[in-house]
This record gives sequence, C-alpha cells and structure tokens, in this order.
Amino acid sequence: MAQTWISREWLQRNLNTIIPISGLIALVIALRAANPYFLTSWDSVITLVYGMSWFLIAACGLTLVILMGSFDFSVPSVLKLSAMIFAVLYPFIGFASIPVSIAVGLIFGFINGMLLARFNIPSFMATLATSMMAEGLAQVISGGYTRMITDPAFRALSTTMIFGLPSIFYWTIITWIIFIFITFATPFGRMIYAVGGNIVGTRLAGINVKMVRTLVFMICSMLASIAGILYASQIQGAHMQVGVLDMIPLFASVVVGGTALTGGVGGVHRTLLGVLIIRWLDSGLSMLAIDLNVRMIIFGAIAIVMTILTIDRRRIRIMK
Amino acid sequence: MSAANPIMEVKNVSKTFDRVVTALDNVSIEVRGNEIVSVVGENGAGKSTLMKILVGVYQPDSGEMYYLGRRVPFPKDPLDALRRGISIVYQERGVIPHLKVYQFLFLGLEEKFTKLGRLQLGKIIGLAKSVFEELGLECDLTSSIYELPPSTQKMVEIARAILSIKLMMVGDGGSEITPIIILDEPTAPLSLEERDELFNYLLNLKKSNSFIFVSHIIPEVMKFSDRIYVLRDGRVVAHHDLSSEKVTEDQLFREIVGRESYYDLWAKYVYGVGEVRERRAILSVRNLAKKGYFENVSFDLHEGECIGLFGPAGCGKSEIAKALYGEISADNGKIIVDGKEAKLKGEPYVRIKMGIGYFSGETGKELFLFWPIKKNLSIVNFEKVTKKPLKIASVISFKAESSLAEKIMKKLRIRAPSVEAECYSLSGGNKQKVSVGKWLEKNPKILVLEDPTIGIDVGAREEIYEVLLEMKRNGTAMILVSDDPKEYTILCDKIISVRNGIVQAVYTNEEFRRLMGL
Repeated sequence: MAQTWISREWLQRNLNTIIPISGLIALVIALRAANPYFLTSWDSVITLVYGMSWFLIAACGLTLVILMGSFDFSVPSVLKLSAMIFAVLYPFIGFASIPVSIAVGLIFGFINGMLLARFNIPSFMATLATSMMAEGLAQVISGGYTRMITDPAFRALSTTMIFGLPSIFYWTIITWIIFIFITFATPFGRMIYAVGGNIVGTRLAGINVKMVRTLVFMICSMLASIAGILYASQIQGAHMQVGVLDMIPLFASVVVGGTALTGGVGGVHRTLLGVLIIRWLDSGLSMLAIDLNVRMIIFGAIAIVMTILTIDRRRIRIMK
Repeated sequence: MSAANPIMEVKNVSKTFDRVVTALDNVSIEVRGNEIVSVVGENGAGKSTLMKILVGVYQPDSGEMYYLGRRVPFPKDPLDALRRGISIVYQERGVIPHLKVYQFLFLGLEEKFTKLGRLQLGKIIGLAKSVFEELGLECDLTSSIYELPPSTQKMVEIARAILSIKLMMVGDGGSEITPIIILDEPTAPLSLEERDELFNYLLNLKKSNSFIFVSHIIPEVMKFSDRIYVLRDGRVVAHHDLSSEKVTEDQLFREIVGRESYYDLWAKYVYGVGEVRERRAILSVRNLAKKGYFENVSFDLHEGECIGLFGPAGCGKSEIAKALYGEISADNGKIIVDGKEAKLKGEPYVRIKMGIGYFSGETGKELFLFWPIKKNLSIVNFEKVTKKPLKIASVISFKAESSLAEKIMKKLRIRAPSVEAECYSLSGGNKQKVSVGKWLEKNPKILVLEDPTIGIDVGAREEIYEVLLEMKRNGTAMILVSDDPKEYTILCDKIISVRNGIVQAVYTNEEFRRLMGL
C-alpha cells in the first residue's frame, strides 16, 4: 500500500509531541529574530539556567499529580513557604533548616493527599484551601518582611560553578532524571499512570490507590519545597512575592509539554520541553516590554489551548 | 387508533462505528399503539445503539424512519425526538436526588410556566398533581426525590418523560398522539417486589402510552411484553407476537445467545465438572451480611472448586462476590481465607495479598485500554518482572515484562501484532483474554469471576473456559457470578441459589442441570 509515513493518524497520535517540539523551534527562531543576542553568549545560557532550574523541579512535581488526573494548586505557595522557612531559620540553625523546610512541605503534601484519598475532596478544592494555609503560614513566619541572607555559603548551594554551570543546574537535572526513571521503570511509576488511566481498574488490580495518591502529593510538595529552597539560595533570601503568579506558568508548562489534564498520558520527561517553551516565551515577551498582566493572559490562553489539544479524545469517546 | 397500525417504524437501520465495528445491520422494528414491545439481546447486541438512534443521540449510516405512516428524517437530537413523541428513561443517572418531586417533573420545561420572569409555582404544583392523578402515581410532591423508594423514583422518571412529550406536542396540535417511552433496563436497580410494582404501573400506563422495553432479563420480558424483538450481533434475529404465538423462556434464551455451537461447547465441558475430591477449604464465609443487599451467607470453598452464586439480577449475588473481593465492605460475618480472617472493611489490594483475584468480562473495567498488552499483564505481576538492586527499590525489567507477556499471549493465543499492541485495538474476546491472562501467572488461591464471557463469541468463550478450567485443575478456587445458567454448569461444582439476598438452596452441578432442564 502506497502510504506516506506521515499519515493523518500518525499526526493525531503524536500531536502532543509534535506541538511542543515545533512550538519550541518556532519560539527559538522568533526570539532569535527579535533579539540577535539570544543564546549567543555563555552568560545568557547561565541566565537561562537560573531562570528555569527551580521552575522545572516544581513543574516535575506538578506533572506527577496531573498524571494521576489530579491537580495541585498549592505548589507555588508551598514553594514560597519553604523558601521562607529556609531563609528565616538559616541564621539560627544553618543548613539544618533544609530538612525542616522539606518536612513542612511533606506535611502539606500529606494533608493534600489525605484530603483527596481519605476524605474524597476533589484535589482542586483541597489544594486551593491548603495553598491559602501555606500563604498564611509564610506571612506569619516572615512577618511579611523580606529576608535577606548574605552568607556566601547560603548562596553557594545553588551558584557554585561546576564545569561552567551553576550547581542548581545539576540539582535540577539529577531530580529530573530520577523522576523520569521512577515513572518509567518502577512499579510505583507504573501505578501513577495506572491511577490516571483507569482508577477502577487500578483498584481492582490490587493497587493501594489511596497510598499512591498520598505519596504522589507528598512528592509533589517535597519537590516544591526543594525548588523553594534552591530559589531562595539563588536570590539570597526570600520575600512574599516568591511564587506569586507562578501557578499558571507552571500548569501551562506541564500541559504544553504534552501531559494531559485527564491523567495517564504524558510524563516528566516532556515537562522539560514545556518549561523551556514557557520560560523562553516569558522572557521573550518581557524583552518586548509586554506587561506582566498581559503575559498572564497569554499563558492562561496557552494553557487552555494546550489542555484542549492534549486531552485524549480516544478516551473521551470511550467515556461517552 | 387501531393497535395494529404502527405509530413509529424504522426500516433497515445500519450503524457502524469507526468504519470497523458494525453495531447495527439492517435493523427494522415497529412500535404500535398502546403496547409494551421488548428489545432483548446480550450486552453488545446493539440494543443501546438502536435506542440512541431513536432518540437522536446517534445518527444512523442508513435507514428510514416512518411516523404514522409518513416518512420522516431521523431525529437530530433528543429534543427533536421529544417533539415526535419519543422519550427515553435511562438505566441510571436519571433523577437528581436533591430536587423536590415537582421540581424534577418540570426540569427543563420551566419556561413554559414563567410569567414575567417568575415561575408560577402554584400552577406547576397543580398540574403535577393532576398528572400524577392521571398516571395513577401516589407520592408526596414536595418530598425530595432521594426520599422516595427506587421503584417510585423510576415511576417519577417515566411520568416526567410522558409529561415532557405532552407539553412539547401541545403546540403542534398533536395531543392525540400516543407517546413512546423507551425504558433502558429500568429494573436494574430494583428489588424483585419493586419490579412487580413497576410493571403493574406500566401495564396501567399502557392504556395511553407505548413502551419500548430494553432488557436482558428473560422472565420479565416474557411476563409483560406484547411483542419481543431479539437482537443479536446487530441484527434482528427473531420477532415474536406473544398474543398469537407461544414462546418458551428456553427458546428465547437460545435466540438471544444464538449459536447452536455454544450448545456443543457446553456439552463438551459440562461432563467434566462436579468431581472435586475432598480438599482443604481455602475460603470460609460465615454469616456474611451487608444491610440491604444480602444476609447470613455461609459456605466453604475448597481448593480447585468453583462455586456459582445464582439468582436473578439484583438478588445480591454480585454484591456477595464484590464483598469477597473487597470492592465493597460487608457489615457482619466472617471471611476466612486460608485460615486467616480478613477484615470486613474491604480493599482489593488487601484481598489480593491474601490471594483473592478478580476477573470481570465487562470491557474496560479492569483493562487499561491505552496501555500495551504487556503493561496490562504485568500490573498484578510486578514481583515477577522486577529486580531489586536495593532493598527498598524495585525496578521493572522490560525484558522480563515482555517475555512474561509473550508467554501469556502464546498460551492464551491472544491475537495481536505484538505485546506492544494497545488493548483498545483488540477484539472483545482478546481483550477478555488479556484481562484473565494477568491472573494466569499470578496464580491466586481464589478467583472471583463476574460475567467472565459476556459479549464475546463462541470461539473466544471456549478459550476463556479452557483457561479457567486449567487454572481450576491447578488448584485455583473460583466464585462465579453470571447471567447465563449454562456458564454455571460449565464451570461450577456447586451452585448456591440466592434470592433477595438470602441463600435459598445449594445444588450440585447435576442437580442444577436437572433443575434448569439442561
């Protein structure tokens, strides 16, 4: 049969890969045209790394939750809270504040997971509520003030140069690879996809759905915490504006990467693409002096369009 | 209007999904005035597709529709169907529990009772009262729907369907027209008495309406229909006018299931069962009860034995099976698996650890349709396909996973291009084989089967039976719940008959066969 290898079906099946890759290429070309210095110097690469690393860590956590077909609104708030705890406690206990900060993140994740798994509260609502709690807690801990840390060791956590790249790059890539490995090659990763793909079947196959859900929410909050800690170290402190307005870009990067909001489709590996696109677009737009609020409108629109494009139509037909 | 003239007629309706799956093939049926006409068939026979075409949810690929002898286009959408006097009461999700009865009755029709933007509540309640009187329905209009018994809820739904047709038709001057109400498995959620209540109500309503009754429960259909259409594999294979001919339940059953060869199949297996030697009891159930579903259920299941729970749909048999598997929790009693007592509060993952597996023929229930075959097979077999480089971490070996899948595929003769083929692309029989195949390597002590061969053809059925019988020979005990008496005789050594949630009797395979006249 004479058939071109790019059949209509092939295109449809791989839509959630084709769109982000072609989008990324188009974006790089556009940015290059608008700014001839884009990605020409090593410095600009390092700027890029600083802009994306912590963001990718948080986005990885959110990806896991979305893969389960749930959502976590509390990611930016937990990120802010953890950054704040780290910065506030650092002068007293030094790097021992890192485990404290992560522990608080895990507690928030545990609450989110339990609200969904045990009390059947939709994760949209549960995490919206806990995000308010995290915001409030951050405000209480900091008293609303900006906390600056001038200790070079604090900063070195993310900015130590190794082979020409800051350490935050390696933290991020290690995290990213670990979670790609977990989702692809471990039973636990398989279970995450299973919950997102067919929750009834998952339960019938003898998988403890409640445990998987709770663990994934804990991992998501833990990654938000780690992102917050690294970000705090990168900006030498924490303030109440950390994480504000990050929810939509985070969500947009996950879906732009090709992870479907319906769950079960996509993956952590794709989120790198989404983060590159969203962060580059963000910097490109700000380069063009486009107002932050307008940027938010654009990201919101992108998130909606990509959600529509990535939702698995085959599945909708099955669900009727 | 003379009863013999059809009100509505469809001729040569065909419908194909995705250009591959033929759901309906040249189907013609008619509905006459003031009758209950049944459409029966197995799951997947095309009943629902036909009904959805009649109410405009689907468009047929070809076919004609006649209304009062005039050719009309097929309805575009449910509202269009409503204007023609056709409405449907779905099996589930019909009522909105927290609405008051009168609110529900007029839901979506409010604009007809609005004056200056205000709902004329008095008028609505008045009309509702007269409608209920006319339809012979007794219930408090101001109570919430969820407070009503299930049968009354169904009746309210039917009343609403009739009412909305009447209100739609008033403008067209067609108030003389007999409404046609499609009832899609209306008795599924009801107990036996409630069913009788519903049917008496329908017989009463027949004076002014016609009903299309969609069901697979043969006794009901026989008892209350005027005519019966039997649908099988998308075709009308039989049509009976019960006023002029006599049909036995067995004949109807044979027509629904079709395929004479199924009888051969049955004969081939049926004489091999029932000879279980005394082995140790692997499952002991004592006085198991769940309020409103079943009570006082006790039995012992031995190694390599299969016990069938038999009874009409809604008798509690599937709830008992689900309680054993942990999909629902029992309130009282004991479940002892291989000497260990299981907690009554069920979770399937706990029960699987104790050795109870579950397999249902319902497509898509336990399969991950968009996963390749190998992932569907390894989901319960992680311990077989993982390596443990560290104590706490286990890693899936893709090689082991593929070879496990290939082994099962070969053994069950699953027809697919490779272990990478996604399950949604497989035929029904092969899907079922994947579903059951995952237990083959797991080797649970007990396997709970719910309608294991529903909606698949004889060849695939035979293969599934082969697999199950082999597992049984190897010592796996089984609990069977099914709608098909023959399935019990093929697989079960003992049959427990259940009615209204209470165990009535225990039969041996032979006794059961005699009882069923098989």
